[in-house]
Amino acid sequence: MVNNGFDQRGTVNIEIGHKTFSGSKGSLLALKDILLTINPGEFVCIVGGSGCGKTTLLRIIAGLETEYEGAVFLDGKKLIGTGLDRGVVFQEHRLLSWLTVHDNVGFGLAGRPPEERSKDIRHYIGLVGLDKFEYEYPHQLSGGMSQRVAIARALVGRPEVLLLDEPFASLDALTRMRMQQEILHIWEAERTTVVLVTHDIEEAVYLADRVVIMSPQPGTIRNILPVRLSRPRDRTDQAFVRVRRSVHDELFAPGEMPHLAPDNF
Amino acid sequence: MSTAEQDRRLIWKGATTASTAKPSGNTGRIYIPDRILGWIIPVSVLLAWELLARLRILPSNWLPAPTVVGQTTYQLALTGDLLKHVGITTARVAVGFLLGASAGTLFGGVTGYLPVARKLLDPSLQALRSVPSIAWVPLFLLWLGIHETSKIALISLGALFPVYLNLSVAMRQVDPKLLEVGKLYRLSGFQMVCRLILPAVLPEYIVGLRSGLGLAWMFVVAAELLGASSGIGYLMVDGEMTGRAAVILASVILFAVFGKATDWMMNAVGRRLLGHRAG
Repeated sequence: MVNNGFDQRGTVNIEIGHKTFSGSKGSLLALKDILLTINPGEFVCIVGGSGCGKTTLLRIIAGLETEYEGAVFLDGKKLIGTGLDRGVVFQEHRLLSWLTVHDNVGFGLAGRPPEERSKDIRHYIGLVGLDKFEYEYPHQLSGGMSQRVAIARALVGRPEVLLLDEPFASLDALTRMRMQQEILHIWEAERTTVVLVTHDIEEAVYLADRVVIMSPQPGTIRNILPVRLSRPRDRTDQAFVRVRRSVHDELFAPGEMPHLAPDNF
Repeated sequence: MSTAEQDRRLIWKGATTASTAKPSGNTGRIYIPDRILGWIIPVSVLLAWELLARLRILPSNWLPAPTVVGQTTYQLALTGDLLKHVGITTARVAVGFLLGASAGTLFGGVTGYLPVARKLLDPSLQALRSVPSIAWVPLFLLWLGIHETSKIALISLGALFPVYLNLSVAMRQVDPKLLEVGKLYRLSGFQMVCRLILPAVLPEYIVGLRSGLGLAWMFVVAAELLGASSGIGYLMVDGEMTGRAAVILASVILFAVFGKATDWMMNAVGRRLLGHRAG
């Protein structure tokens, strides 16, 4: 675990009693009894099928969902609403089409001295490897490049926690693998706490220090599995496959996935 | 396939695709570039018209030759009348459009941003919009007199609705996912409007301004036809009263030219503002 005692910034304590969405057809219990502590500098992946509340959980940490019973603490301080101490990357890049890469990355830095602002923007554009595209517009970028810009935008305010909601789900398989490596490099360079939501078991095992497995109706934490594999991880390695299988077995009760019998996994 | 059929296909292809490549090595095939294709009918009509007028097959007091219309315009320009009439009409359009577009921007902005304002104002504005424009003329003349105020009011009313509608609808349809980005950076309501909503709706807003300007030109014709002592519309009425078809035709062309010119300018400004976006 990365908790080395030198840098304690970025501890997230989640204590959610329940979160319900009420609509015209009644209410839906999205999350129930979520207790989770994420250590400073830790890389945590939250996996689960659709409807298990994993995105809702991330949105609560981000401060985008404020109607729930419970509290989320960052370094002991109760979080109210959104804030620059958390950087967020969504599944869609959500870049502003009328701004250049430079201005998109710097969107949240208004009010800083221009020189300092430009320096920070350039640093993060460099970190995601887009130096040559600083003054391009979003429509000139590929999906993977746009997502890199979104990551730079989330990091430029130097957040304590980076929150990613299925950030690579809409990318093609090869780009996705490249981006997974990239996010590890960024995490190693920045040493921020990272919470990444995904439905891809392999992605979770490849990236995470700990994998949080959620189950739906209502959304609860089924189990938390540590991944004690050194990085860089080899997806075809026996140990990797074993961890992957244990996450899989946690996620699906026996009989739910008959075509993936334990014997020939 | 016969040669004639192949020729037709080539012309057809030239009209629908942007292809500029000339079919090479095939003599006897007709290739007409897209830009020229659109000119064929107007030029032929003008030539036929000129010819029929010169041969006195068309009565000159009914449809004078294009060259006569040109001469009439030139003479009007020499006396300074043309400049005066064009100037006053353009000024009316400009003032009316500015007032109408400003009001449209205000109403559109408020109703687009505040759902309460939309529920309060939109039904009334929609009801007003469904009144045919010319129906306002008697009332405006009664209230505001025959002078400039009533004309400006009518033109403003014409420009108001497209600007209002486009802005209001576009603001309501701004992607909530982009607004969430603003929320992440804790933008205030005012910052949200300036930094996210307004840039996001700019393309639709420019479309609204362009149709508002088009309607302003339409309404200036109505206003000037129904009681004016100057302007291109007055020139038309004057031509009708004195039986000079050439003056009427010259006025029609002036409206077309200046309407198109202002639209082109607006479009150029719009393209400059939106040039770097996709699409």
